[in-house]
Amino acid sequence: MNHFGSGELETAVIQSELCIGCGACVRLCPYFDSYRGKTALLFPCAVEKGRCFAYCPKIEVDLDAITRFLHGIPYDGNPLGHHRGIFIARAGEKVRKQPFQAGGTVTALLVYAFRSGNIRGAVLTNRKGLLPEPRFVTRSADVYRASLSKYTAAPTLSALNEALDKGHGNLGVVGTPCQVTAVSQMRMNPMDKPGFKDPTALVVGLFCTWALDFRRFETFLAGEVPLEKIVKIDIPPPPAQVLEVYLEDGKRAFPLDRIRPLVPDTCGYCPDMTAEFADVSVGVLEGRGDRNTLIVRTERGERIVREAEKKGFLVLEEMPRENLEHLQWAAGNKKKRGFLRSREAGKVNGEPGKTLFRLAPECLDGVFQDR
Amino acid sequence: MSFLIDEGRNIQHLLMGNEAIVRGALEAGVNVAAGYPGTPSSEIIETLSKVARDRNLYVEWSTNEKVAVEVAAAASFAGLRSLCVMKQNGVNVASDFLLHLASSGTRGGMVLVTCDDPGALSSVNEGESRLFAQILEIPLLEPGDFQEAKDIIPWAFALSEKIRNVVMVRSVTRLSHGSGNVRFGSLPGTSARAEFVCHGPLLDPETGPIISMILAAPELQHGPQQEKLKKAAEIFETCPFNTYQGPDEPELLIVTASICSLYSREAVRILGLEDRVGILKLAATWPLPERLVKKHLAAAKRILFVEEVVPTLEDHVKVIAAEAAGEIGAKTFYGKKSGHLPSVGELNPDLVLDALARIFPAAAGTGPAASPGGVKDIPQRFTPARGMTFCPGCPHRASYWSIHNALALDGRGGFVCGDIGCYVMGTLPAGFSTVKTLHCMGSGSGVASGFGKLRSFGMDQPVVAVCGDSTFFHAAMPALANAIHQRSPFTMILLDNRGTAMTGFQPHPGSPTNVLGEEAPALDMEKICRSMGAKVETSDPFDLVKTREKLNRLLEYGEGAKVLILRQACALSPEKRGQRKYEVSVDAERCRGENCGCSRLCTRIFGCPGLVWDREKEVSRIDEMICAGCGVCADICPAGAIVRKEVAR
Repeated sequence: MNHFGSGELETAVIQSELCIGCGACVRLCPYFDSYRGKTALLFPCAVEKGRCFAYCPKIEVDLDAITRFLHGIPYDGNPLGHHRGIFIARAGEKVRKQPFQAGGTVTALLVYAFRSGNIRGAVLTNRKGLLPEPRFVTRSADVYRASLSKYTAAPTLSALNEALDKGHGNLGVVGTPCQVTAVSQMRMNPMDKPGFKDPTALVVGLFCTWALDFRRFETFLAGEVPLEKIVKIDIPPPPAQVLEVYLEDGKRAFPLDRIRPLVPDTCGYCPDMTAEFADVSVGVLEGRGDRNTLIVRTERGERIVREAEKKGFLVLEEMPRENLEHLQWAAGNKKKRGFLRSREAGKVNGEPGKTLFRLAPECLDGVFQDR
Repeated sequence: MSFLIDEGRNIQHLLMGNEAIVRGALEAGVNVAAGYPGTPSSEIIETLSKVARDRNLYVEWSTNEKVAVEVAAAASFAGLRSLCVMKQNGVNVASDFLLHLASSGTRGGMVLVTCDDPGALSSVNEGESRLFAQILEIPLLEPGDFQEAKDIIPWAFALSEKIRNVVMVRSVTRLSHGSGNVRFGSLPGTSARAEFVCHGPLLDPETGPIISMILAAPELQHGPQQEKLKKAAEIFETCPFNTYQGPDEPELLIVTASICSLYSREAVRILGLEDRVGILKLAATWPLPERLVKKHLAAAKRILFVEEVVPTLEDHVKVIAAEAAGEIGAKTFYGKKSGHLPSVGELNPDLVLDALARIFPAAAGTGPAASPGGVKDIPQRFTPARGMTFCPGCPHRASYWSIHNALALDGRGGFVCGDIGCYVMGTLPAGFSTVKTLHCMGSGSGVASGFGKLRSFGMDQPVVAVCGDSTFFHAAMPALANAIHQRSPFTMILLDNRGTAMTGFQPHPGSPTNVLGEEAPALDMEKICRSMGAKVETSDPFDLVKTREKLNRLLEYGEGAKVLILRQACALSPEKRGQRKYEVSVDAERCRGENCGCSRLCTRIFGCPGLVWDREKEVSRIDEMICAGCGVCADICPAGAIVRKEVAR
């Protein structure tokens, strides 16, 4: 693996505007910190090979190594990533009723994982005003508060680093594809720390087409609506093509054409729509705003999903073929776009320390040929 | 009782140059003294304040140098003898009033003492006050040793009264801060009565108003002013402090002044050139006593000028030589222009030795072996290399830490406009290289006010100015007023360390006491800024988290000028000195040292001298001898390895 330090990370990621502000490098040390959605290197660090660089999902991501670590097989470029099953899902009757983004599947899984003792803590993203706020929680009751989508990039993993620093283990983590990639790299113990034990017990990935730059989004919304009255933000599935802002006293819809300029450039390099390195991944089911798509990927993920279903926390249905095909098509498109952009920038299998992704060249060809 | 008011005539004391100036002022019967602190001048007002009650003096630390001269001028107008004191930069500040004062003239004797700092040992420049004497058209005197530093002051007062104008006396760091034997003269009585006689005719110098108002009639005031200068030049011909030593017809004439005369004497003696080189030491250096200078020029063919910084004496003497060329013949000159001596930095005997050795090659090497590279390099060879930094427990380190981090997190390329005080080190790693402009007193806020108005040109970097509490009153308030009135969106950070700390805790208008230690109304900076119209926040810089958060919020906060007051007394302040709030220690087990997760943050970046890196054990430790116990480092340690325990009182 090509590992470097904070200086290379700052040059190749932060200054190159590849940083999404996931928080993977924050709270590991005093040098990186996050403020209003942006990560900054405060002072130069003298460590040549740091965890910051090793965890970062925007530099030297060895897709083959991660897939081998998680599943024992090489990365194959499948649009949806390695998986064991795909379902329609929603929260069951054991989960408290409240407004969910869609079917409440993520909340249901976390609540069950807490209640069953599968996890003893969870890293989530709350919201303070419009600002996403990383949270480490240790009770299922706290899960509900984090239940709505934020749409802006968030330094969630800083809360994970903080929890690990305090010695917490058996953790649930909920994150976007970039955050899940960082978590998987962290789980691989890249610094070969002796006595290392995977601190995660359940990694839940969230589908993501792109995230919004918090500062740009806030500036945009501040000119349109009273920020303090926002209760929920939603991007309903196509063909709507709008971002909806629910206010205490109504709703405003903004065409996505006005919203897309608020997407950070770095999202254009991303080939992962469904958080392929999670235990389970969750998104909104196309055509049904009150249901989720659930992709089950790992053995431990499958076990928790099945138990949650059995105990009434989760309701699963078969995924119809046409939905599946459309999901595959959408994820494949993002994968092609992301790899194409990355390759054009010389960031696939390129110079050590400046490369975004590493994967077998024939696999990359496969992605581009795949119809 | 201070020995400085010892009545004993002819007894000798070892005096610092500044103390000698004080004794001189006391022997002159000075009544009023005002100044603004600045190294190397500060001891003069401080020492005078200690004898103020005994000698019936009024002494004050003024808000700035211009005000100090105005205060001293008032005393002169009322017939008293007054002294005003400042460092070279202060003369710049005071120059506007001084120019008009030189035009209006004075009544009671008035002496302006300026202490220059060649080599900028304690200054941000080595600007010269000598040139001001020319611009202001007032006489300039430069004492050449410690005895003269005392003796020249009464002489200057007498001159001031003879010509009815202010007289400038210039000292330099090595005279002000060096010490030598001084034989005392007698002290006059202490009764004095002030009255401003001002009801006479407009232009009557004895009884009229004292005004500087030429209004297209320069002959009315400017003419008489130049007559005064001519009178001074005439008096300077017989000034007892102009001296000559050496043969009647020297092979080389050294023309020198101030402390450089001692360097010249030492170099001549070391090279054994006493019979070949003459030294004309001038104390009256502007306007030059032309006949005296011409007489000495006539006796030598070669002339060496020994003076510090820019060639001033050199230029003026050359003009006299040119005008008298037919009479005294052509001369060969050595000095700055010939490259024999540098025009930057202090001089020393080694540099004069080098210059003489170039002129007298045969004499070179006859003196005792000079140290290789000169005396100046000796400390460098025996002391470890280290950067300038803030003292242990200094609030500025903590303030800059938060300012630096707030700007880095803000991420819009924000920067700090600096100002004058210990916090000039914000330009250096000691202050995390946060300060990006630095000029004179109060200029940080003025420059920031200007930067703030560049938004219409696409500049969206946040602009921050730092300003000390004394500096705020000295010169930054007009800049803040400007920024508020012009709606300039900058953030002024008042580094309030409770006194004029850099120069030794002199009080300022925000202090609860005056120079005599008497209770005085303290102006409230917070209320002032708020009533001026700024949004004001206050924080303790030792609370790193709150300070950073408050600053980030202010940087986000839209239009207009904002003020953040960071209040924490200087670690060396009388109220804190020798008292530790915390006992601080390092838990070696928890110290992460050079590993990922720390990389020696405390000793490599934070850089408090109270923190030491133990190379052998590879952990940090506290230097208990110098740790001031502020406890801030416990908050920066990522591992919780720095532990602080409140000291029981």
